[in-house]
Amino acid sequence: MMQNRLIALLIFIVSMLIFTGCASSSPKVKKVAEFPKMYEQQPRSILILPPMNQSTDAQAKDYYMTTTEVPFALKGYYTFPTEMVSDIMKQEGVYDTEVLYNMPLDKYYEYFGADAVLFTRIKKWDVSYMVLASRLTISIEAKIVSTKTSQELWKYTGTVVVDLGGGDTGGGILGLIAKVVVAAVNTATADYVKYAHIANKKIVNTLPAGPYSEMHMKDQNLELIDQTIRR
Amino acid sequence: MQNNKTIPLLVITTIALLMSACSTKQEPLYIYGDYSQSYYDSKKNLGVNTALELQKSIEYAIENASESRSGRVAPGMYANLGYIYLKGGKAAQAIESFNKEKSIYPESAHFMNRMIKKIDLMEGKNK
Repeated sequence: MMQNRLIALLIFIVSMLIFTGCASSSPKVKKVAEFPKMYEQQPRSILILPPMNQSTDAQAKDYYMTTTEVPFALKGYYTFPTEMVSDIMKQEGVYDTEVLYNMPLDKYYEYFGADAVLFTRIKKWDVSYMVLASRLTISIEAKIVSTKTSQELWKYTGTVVVDLGGGDTGGGILGLIAKVVVAAVNTATADYVKYAHIANKKIVNTLPAGPYSEMHMKDQNLELIDQTIRR
Repeated sequence: MQNNKTIPLLVITTIALLMSACSTKQEPLYIYGDYSQSYYDSKKNLGVNTALELQKSIEYAIENASESRSGRVAPGMYANLGYIYLKGGKAAQAIESFNKEKSIYPESAHFMNRMIKKIDLMEGKNK
C-alpha cells in the first residue's frame, strides 16, 4: 500500500536523522575537563598573531590570516584587528613570525593590553596527487596562551580533507590520463580559503564561549572530540 | 483512519528535524557583511581598488550593526577604520574612530590609547 510505504520511508528518514544527529563515534570529552584553565582564567580579549606557516605554500600565511578574526569574535571574545596588529608589529621592527612566537608573553599585555594570544600553525595547505585522485588538505593547529600566567589555556587542531579527483571512471590508460587532467584543472581552481574557513569552524567549536557570548560560562558540559588520546 | 493522522504527524516531524538540524538559526552576534571576503581579496590582489572595497565592507559592517543580535559594531571594526584614516593622513577622524572602538570595547582601551598618543606625538611634530 502506498501509505504504508510512505510511513516506512518517513520513519526511516527520521530515525536516520536521530541516529546520525550531530555526533560522531570518536572519543568525547567535556569542554570543562579538556580546557579547565579557560574557565578559571576567563580571558576577555585575544590578540591574533600572524600564522606560522609550515606548509609548502608561501601564500598560505597571508591568506589564512584573513580567516581567523571573525570566528573568534563570533565566539564571544574581543579580537584585536589582525591586519592592523600585524602592521604595527612591522612598524616596531618585528617582521618574522618566528620572533613573534618566541616573544615573552607579558610583552603582549604591556603593548596591547591583551589577556591572551592566539597562535596558529598552518601544518598542511596543499594538494597531493595520486594516480587516480587528488586531494586537498588543510590542517591548522591553534592555541590560546595567557599573557598573564603564560599558561596554555586551549589548543585544538582542525583538519579538512577534500577529494578533488572523483571516483574511478575506468577506461584503462586513456581514462587515467583524462583523470589526471581533470584533477589538475580542479586543483588550479581549488579554493583553499573556503576550506580554511571550514577548518576554523571545527576548531572554534571546541573553544569555550567568550564574555560577549550568551553561552559564556554555560558550555562546560558540551562535548568535543578528544584529541589528546590520539596524540 | 489512523493512518491519515500518522502521516501528517510524521511529515511535520521530518520537516522539523530537517529545519532545526543541529543549530538554531538566528541573527548573528555581529554583522560583518563582506569583510572576510574583501579582506582576502585585498591580500590576493594588493592595490587601490581592493583596499577601497575593504574599507567599504568595514563601513557597511559599522552602518548595519544594529541588525545584529548584539546590536554592537563587531570588535576591531572601528579600529580598522581608524587605521585606514590614519594611513590616509586623516588624524582627527582616526582618533574619533579609535575612541569609538574604546567606548564599545573597553578591552581595546590600552591599545587605542597607545595609538591616539602616537598620533598626538606625530601631530605635535608637524606643527
